[in-house]
Amino acid sequence: MAAVFRALFGYCFLVFMMRIAGRRPGKQITPFEFLMVFFMGGLTLTSMVADDHSFINAAVQILSVAAAHYAITALKLKSPRFGRIVDGTPLVLFEHGRWRTESMKAMRLTDEDVLAMVRDQGLERLDQIDYAVLERNGEISIVPSARAK
Amino acid sequence: MPSSAPPTAPVRDSVAKVNDELAVGSDLEFQRRWWKFERAIWIFFTLLIVLDVLGVFGRGPLAKARLRAADGSAEVTYERIERHKTPSVLTAHFGPSAIQDGKVRLWVSDDLVKELGNQRVSPQPESSRLERGGILYTFPAGAPPLAVQFSLEPSSIGRASISLEVQGRDRLSANIFVMP
Repeated sequence: MAAVFRALFGYCFLVFMMRIAGRRPGKQITPFEFLMVFFMGGLTLTSMVADDHSFINAAVQILSVAAAHYAITALKLKSPRFGRIVDGTPLVLFEHGRWRTESMKAMRLTDEDVLAMVRDQGLERLDQIDYAVLERNGEISIVPSARAK
Repeated sequence: MPSSAPPTAPVRDSVAKVNDELAVGSDLEFQRRWWKFERAIWIFFTLLIVLDVLGVFGRGPLAKARLRAADGSAEVTYERIERHKTPSVLTAHFGPSAIQDGKVRLWVSDDLVKELGNQRVSPQPESSRLERGGILYTFPAGAPPLAVQFSLEPSSIGRASISLEVQGRDRLSANIFVMP
């Protein structure tokens, strides 16, 4: 029973920590941030496994984490409010030639992060885009301006 | 036989728009509340780290404790906050009054074994026997200073009460909290 609670706590704690630590997975993730993700996972694992190295412990904990993930996903579908808490909402970072500095600063993103995604879309300059949006999965979407299209 | 058509639903334009053109579903007010919450959480996390460095959750200066018998027979250094399944050492130091017939007889309550998971006693006692809800160890002793170490590895979480007593002398009691 303790193994199930350890797994559930470890999973929920990691979900919360990743939410607090910032929404920068996907293409925006840097090697420095990879380090944090692996470190957090590794450190959580030590307390989750504890001194029980049996196969049954691993299987039960994997099932517990999968069940917790399923429950959170189902709750997100049922309650948009819960979805906002877990994933946040999309955020406009750039609109028609102006940065939304409040969102950029709060999400700890720089102009360079947006420009990298602009280049990724095959565009060269910010005047070729209308919007840059930080999505809930951490990716930055670029909406090209009519001229660039 | 034709298969039944998959269920469909009409598209509802319920996603909030920016500048009446970009359907993005942004909720800046919610995000502002979340960022406020994040700032409070970071203050809380910083506080937790400082408390941990100080030893409030064990393994730091505030966790270390010392007990001394009024008659000077023994002094015990231990951790008042232990961590579950994490090794630590409890040391009993003995004064000259603890030695009787070239031996130190130390009684410890069985919580030292049951709750705090005593793994090893160093040096090895000459003998040990069950007595008064605990264990009475007998150590051959020379001239002071003398010390006996108990290697602990708490097996249960919560409060544990331990008592130690040099036979016939003052009893020392302490409460230890084992963190998860």
